[in-house]
Parts: sequence; C-alpha cells; structure tokens
Amino acid sequence: MSSAGPPALDNEGTRSLGRAARSAVRGEHTTAPILAVENLVTTFRTGGGWHAAVRDVSFVVQHNETLAIVGESGCGKSVTALSIMGLVPPGNGRVAGGQIHFGGRDLVALDEEEMRKIRGDRISMIFQEPMTSLNPVLTIGFQVAEALSYHRDMGRREAAATALELLEQVKIPSARQRFDDYPHQFSGGMRQRVMIAMALACRPELLLADEPTTALDVTIQAEVLALLAELKAAYGMAMIFITHNLGVVASIADRVAAMYAGEIVEIAPVNELFARPTHPYTELLLRSIPRVDRDTAGLSVIAGQVPAIGAMPTGCRFAQRCPLRQPICTERDPILVPLPDAPDHHVRCWVRAAPGEGRRA
Amino acid sequence: MPESVLTVTGLRKFFVVKRGFPRTRTVTVRALDGISFDVRDGEAFGLVGESGCGKSTAGRAGLRLIEPDAGEIVFKGENVVTASKARLRVLRRKLQIIFQDPYASLNPRRRIGKALIEPMRVHGIAGEAECEERARALLAEVGLPDTAMTRYPHEFSGGQRQRIGIARSLTLEPELLVADEPVSALDVSIQAQILLLLQRLQERRGLAFIFISHDLGVVRYFCQRMAVMYLGRIVETGAIPAIFKEPLHPYTRMLRDASPVPDPQFKVIMMRIEGEVPSAVDPPSGCHFHTRCPHVMPICREVYPEWRQMDDERGVACHLHASTR
Repeated sequence: MSSAGPPALDNEGTRSLGRAARSAVRGEHTTAPILAVENLVTTFRTGGGWHAAVRDVSFVVQHNETLAIVGESGCGKSVTALSIMGLVPPGNGRVAGGQIHFGGRDLVALDEEEMRKIRGDRISMIFQEPMTSLNPVLTIGFQVAEALSYHRDMGRREAAATALELLEQVKIPSARQRFDDYPHQFSGGMRQRVMIAMALACRPELLLADEPTTALDVTIQAEVLALLAELKAAYGMAMIFITHNLGVVASIADRVAAMYAGEIVEIAPVNELFARPTHPYTELLLRSIPRVDRDTAGLSVIAGQVPAIGAMPTGCRFAQRCPLRQPICTERDPILVPLPDAPDHHVRCWVRAAPGEGRRA
Repeated sequence: MPESVLTVTGLRKFFVVKRGFPRTRTVTVRALDGISFDVRDGEAFGLVGESGCGKSTAGRAGLRLIEPDAGEIVFKGENVVTASKARLRVLRRKLQIIFQDPYASLNPRRRIGKALIEPMRVHGIAGEAECEERARALLAEVGLPDTAMTRYPHEFSGGQRQRIGIARSLTLEPELLVADEPVSALDVSIQAQILLLLQRLQERRGLAFIFISHDLGVVRYFCQRMAVMYLGRIVETGAIPAIFKEPLHPYTRMLRDASPVPDPQFKVIMMRIEGEVPSAVDPPSGCHFHTRCPHVMPICREVYPEWRQMDDERGVACHLHASTR
C-alpha cells in the first residue's frame, strides 16, 4: 500500500482517522467508538449516470459524544445520515462503497430485515419537519408506544405506560391529558418533542438528528437543544447532529465535521474548530455569519456556488471559489490529514494542510 | 435626524378564519393590534419577532397589499390608506417588496426578461427598446449575466432567483423596499452575498428598507433601527446596536439570548421549559408576554402596559419600565 495513487490515499485517510479516534477518547484506549464510518460513498442516479453525493467520508462517534455535521444544502450531510440508517431511497440511490461499523457489524452489508431490527431500536433518527414524519391519523400516544411494542414486545398497557413516561420526560405539558391527541393539535416545538420521545423510546445507543430545530423559532430551538443535551446525558447515548447553523453547532457539539460538496473538509473538536478554522471554506463560512452578539464589521463573501453533483471538478471541490487556490488544487484531490500540532484536527486542503509529513508516516 | 419617509400609526388587521376538525369554529386572528412605527429616509428598519407575531402582515399592510382594518400609513406626506386607485398605482411604484421565496413569486413559464419588463410596460415607464435596456442594466446591477434575460426561473439557483426578485423590485425605481425574510431560505454563504448586494443598492440608490426577519444577527448587521413584535404588537423599538446591548423588554432579551452565536464559549442552552406558546388567536390577558416572562408581576396579568417613549429611538411597552411604577 506504499505506492502512490488512490489506494494509498485511502489508507492514509483511515490511518489518520485511527489517530483521531485515539485522541478523542483521551486515555480510554480500550473504548471502541460506537460508530465508525469508513470511506463511505453514496451515489445517486441523476441525468442518466450515477454520481457520488457523498465521497470518501470517514469519521467515528464515541460513546456520549455529539458529533455535529455542518454544511450547506447539498453538501451530503443528510445523505450521510440516511446511509447510516439504511434509508437511501432504493432505485435512485445506493451506498456504493465503504463500511459503517456499528455494534461490531457492518451496517452496509445488512439486509433490510436485519436493518429494521436496529433502526428505531439501537439507532434512531429525528427529522426537520416533525409533521411530515408523524402519522396525522394516529394519536401521539399510540405512535410513541408503537416502537415499544415492535422492538420490545411490550403489551399494549405496558407500552402505553412507558410511552406516557417518555412524553413526560420530553416535557410535554399535561402529557396524560394530551396522550390521545393528534399531531395537528400540537405546535411545532411540541411535535418535535413527540418525535424525540418516539426516537428515544427504545433507549438507542445512537441518535441521528437531522436539522431538528431548523423549522422552529429561536426560543423554542433553545428549549429543544436543552432537552436534547439533557436527554443525551441521562441516556448516555451518542448523537450525530446535522445542521447548517454554525451557532447551533457551537451550542451542542463536542466535535464538528464540516462538509462541502460531498466530502468532509475539516473535522475537529468544537473549541478547536471555532478557534482555528483551517480549511478556507470553514473559515470563510464562519466569517460570513452576521453575529447577534457583536457588530460585524465586514461580511466575508464566498463567491460563486457549490458545483453540481454531476459536474464535480477534479482536484479540490472548493478550488473554484477559494481565494487561496494554487495550481495543485485543481489537479489532484486533496486528502484529509491531521494538522502537525493538533492530531485531532483534520483538514482536506493542499494549501493549509499539506500532507507532506503524513504521507511519510 | 433624517426625515421619515413612511409613518405608520395604529395599524390594525384582524383575520377571521375557520379552524378545527371535524367541527370548525370561527376564530379571529389579531395579526396586527395597533402598531405604530416610522421609517426614516435611507434607513433600514428591522421588524423582528417569531412566527405568527404579525411582522409579515405589518410589511404587507404597510404597502396596502393587505387592506388594514384601521390605522394610518403616510408615505412622504400622502396617506396610503385613503389613496384612490389611480393614486395608489403611482404610490406602488415607490413602494416595492422582495419576498422570501422568489421562486414562488416568479411565473415559471415566463422568461426573466419578460418578468422584468412587464412592470415597466404596465406603468408606461418607457418604450419597448428602452425597457429592455433597463432590464439588462438591472440584471448587471444585481450581478447576473445578460443571458439571464432569455432564461426561465427554474434554470437558476436559490441565490440567483433572489437576485432576480431584487432586480424586479427595482424595475420601477422604488424609494422604499419591504424585504420580507429575503435571506432566510438561503445558505449562509449565499445569504452574505445577498446582504452585501442589498447594502450596495441601499447606498447607491438611497433606498429605505423595512427589513422583516426572524434572524437577529442579520437584522443587527443590516438595519439601523428595529422594532420587536410579539403577538400583533410592537413591544420595543430602538437603535442598533443599543437595543442589543441593553434590551429593555424581557422578550427582546429572551430573543437575543436564544439566538445562537458561532462561538462555543457562548452556548445557548436555556433550561426553562415552557408549555405551548400562546398565539394571536387568543392572546393572553394583560401583557401578552406575561405567560413567558421571567419578571412577571401581578399587574402584567391584567393591564396591557402603556407605550413609553424613552427618547427619539427607544420605546418600550413593559410594566418594568412604566414611568409611574
């Protein structure tokens, strides 16, 4: 594997990932990550060909950890989550490569029936718009209890009692009276709480939250974030939190992966990423947000737009919009490498993180 | 102090809607319950608040796109509410609007060129050739290529469509633009592009803005003054950044503190969990905010606080800041 070319690059990626895993647990070398995604490639059929919406995505999630995946629309953050859940729409999309290790198994290799046993039980997901994921003709009590009778084989009475406990835990006011209410009788924030109760019913080890607060008002968003943080601590579960909002990331994440055009361009612990954004995209993105807590002197603008899925350029996918572009950027694909002085901070950039040292290792 | 271009006084709009299933009941949504504000020459005036507070209705009623039930709107000395149809047509040239979702406001079967030229033709501003000339100039001004003229809305990305929406709002050389969540549907990097474009236009054309947004960061960046709305009423007005530094109304403070900041040192984790948030259908008695207010006093449950104008800029409706306590 020492020869040049793509395989060596892949190997390099995995190697640096291992280091990240080790540094993230800090001394608990024996603790295996709860989830390890390796070189994930998910493709979609568009315009007669298969194109990668997610390419070479690798990361780990530790127990009790919140990993935020941040990026703009179309960057592949939701597709990554759907790939983990085995919910990539068949026919038009497929996981074309890579492994997703969870609980000692590779989820990519599992068939639908086995996946169904894991989904909603050991891994759950909540979505942006709770109204479209709740069944409008079933009471919320029934919907929360459903997962319990399916996965836990509970009788009706027992499932209902547990469901009520869950609704109280997510702080639905007068949960007992509202147990038999329908989704339309709840406000957006309350529906999201119901979704969270459903997702947590079986005490999952991993929760995927895909823009769970994006449709909510800021005060309600703050409440839901608080609730998620509290429940995460109480349940000891890991969370992948997908959002486009870097403010929300700063509030909830332990580590952050920034995605651009289907690739992770930077991954680092939250304080490190905000203190020292190193990929030009991450840095510009942070400087293009008008802040509420201070005057923003000048907004950075990222000129142009994300390349289309069927027309990805060779080399760095951000190169066309990048103010630091060098000739190499449009010639060869950059790889995700750790920074020399911060082994848990990985950057995919020829200019800011030249992989010289990493390649020799 | 610059002169006011638009003065709104006691604007009111109630909607009567049918709600409920299977048995419907008729309810009154008090979308605007008597709001007053003024927009000064060349300034961007922010209207902020959460969904259902009436900020969009305020923007639309301000242009009489929605007929207000009561109140007065004066644009440069002329009463917009009582203006005749013919007069309103002239006024509408001066008062234009940009929407959140430009795709929904563009005819999908009409080329961009035609969409830009039509308002000029309707208002008889110029001949065919000159209209086209102007349309091209507008496209250039908002940063779109000439070739956009012959293309259809679906061929553009969200950010480009918003540029088209902006170009169209400028066709009649307006003096005041209502921008209703103009960047809310856009990605962060595109949002910055559009904000800078709007800022450039504001400087170059001396435009006044009513800038409606739920994003306090964007309002802080773009506006000079703002009003905070809650359930159909303005609860506080003030100059930026003073109102952010020292919010007087507890709701303004709550909004500010709940707005996430891209800095892990300032996490927005509020542990106070509330029940259902009241709506404009059935606003709480007294001060509408008393059900969520951390400083609620007995009087707040009974009496709506009077408006108190502290100085030229700052005003607040809150019993904590009443002149005679």
